[in-house]
Amino acid sequence: MVKIEHLSKKYNDNIVLEDINLEIRKGDVVGIIGPSGTGKSTLLRCVNRLETPESGAVWLGEKKIEIARKNVKELRYLRQNTGMVFQRFHLFEKKTALENVMEGLVVVKKLKKEEAREIAQKELEKVGMAPWANHYPKHLSGGQQQRVALARALAMKPELLLLDEPTSALDPELVGEVLDVIKKVAEEGYTMLLVSHEMNFVRHVANRVIFLEKGHIVEDGTPAEVFEHPKNERTREFFRKMHMMNQPEYII
Amino acid sequence: MGKLFDFELVFTSIPELLQKLPITLELALLAMVLGLLLGLLMAVIKQKKIRVLTQIVNFLISLIRGTPVIVQLYIAFFGIPMFFKYLNQQFGTDFAVAEIPGFVYAVVALGLNQSAFCAEIIRSALQSVDEGQIEAAHALGMSFFQTLRRVILPEAFEVALPTLGNSLISMIKSTSLAFTCAVVEITAQGKIIGGRSYRYFEVYVSLAIIYWVITIVIEQGIRLIEKKIRIPEQVELVVVRTDSGGGDKSAGVLRQAKAVAARKEGT
Repeated sequence: MVKIEHLSKKYNDNIVLEDINLEIRKGDVVGIIGPSGTGKSTLLRCVNRLETPESGAVWLGEKKIEIARKNVKELRYLRQNTGMVFQRFHLFEKKTALENVMEGLVVVKKLKKEEAREIAQKELEKVGMAPWANHYPKHLSGGQQQRVALARALAMKPELLLLDEPTSALDPELVGEVLDVIKKVAEEGYTMLLVSHEMNFVRHVANRVIFLEKGHIVEDGTPAEVFEHPKNERTREFFRKMHMMNQPEYII
Repeated sequence: MGKLFDFELVFTSIPELLQKLPITLELALLAMVLGLLLGLLMAVIKQKKIRVLTQIVNFLISLIRGTPVIVQLYIAFFGIPMFFKYLNQQFGTDFAVAEIPGFVYAVVALGLNQSAFCAEIIRSALQSVDEGQIEAAHALGMSFFQTLRRVILPEAFEVALPTLGNSLISMIKSTSLAFTCAVVEITAQGKIIGGRSYRYFEVYVSLAIIYWVITIVIEQGIRLIEKKIRIPEQVELVVVRTDSGGGDKSAGVLRQAKAVAARKEGT
């Protein structure tokens, strides 16, 4: 089980997140949606402390990690046990796909090279990138890079996987291949926090959806509840706009 | 009245000058290594904006860049012994100042000089590394130093290499000033040879040739390294092995071939 407690974050006077509390069961895929600038990405980045919040704690199983304080040991534990997939992939440019996946295993988990290579190869296979193991990021398309990035995060066997808009930097054509892999990963039982604008995807892959608005959770429920019967006025308005966009401009 | 220019001497004095080449190279390399290490340290301090240390580093860089190398060499040569003598007088210590060879002062002075320039080169190279990759490394749980060594430096090195090469070349030429610290490297040797025959000009021409050749060699070396660390343009696909097959490459090839055949049949 993963728990986020009293997470607050502000930039100067601008409150981005206010007292967020979230309990995630093991194996849950939680989709976080909401308008731009409501702190969806900030929430993820605070959870593994790429941003330092004003207050808050994260529970990974039985272990509580205060994320507002700097504690090198706790921080390492937190980061070793959470995986992150970024919007812009952020693969290590000077390393091949395989080396990218091996990096955390060798440097952080201190595995032997051969052992790490074996795990990395398996992870690459899982995301369908095994033939490209020796390619460098610059040789790969966005979708391929993102799949390698997923493999890199998964190789560490994280208790919590954070996906920060994993498809928004991709060509529409390449979105599908990444979503397929994420779906596969979700089915494997990884606990995930997924920020995405792909509403249809969130609806299908998540078993719980959270609507974030101005730093507050205003809607929290199963995809069916949130997408079909939103309780909050703001959520309804958001979906109304989305539906408008999905509809054709005119019909002959 | 002898010849105005003794062409032969230009070449005959080269072997004698080359006897001191190891000193020149050692001096340049040691100073460069010192400069690189200090430069990296200063660059990291500046980038991490560590309080007080940043101010000290800025002051040092300004001081070093604002004074000529030859003055720095003199200051090292006379200043460091003076400092130790002061220590000896004040605290009754027994540093054998006179036994420190001039070579050490030259390395220290040239190394410090180099560090100021390296610091700026390295800092700009460090800044060129994409912030996202650093975040990705942190997200994996890598510490600052692990990230520096495994992610930042390999990338920054490629960016900094051409400029650092230039620095090394100018360092080679700066060693010609090491005579100020009583080091006999090739230029000092040249002066000695010139003094014997009063044919200074010819010897200087020989020296020019030697320095030029060294520079060309370094340039080519740097180019070679650049080529070597560059990411290759094309990489072959890995043939995925199938476990059911013979377990070697042929199985994978076979599988690929089958896949191609299947696709052809389908159409």
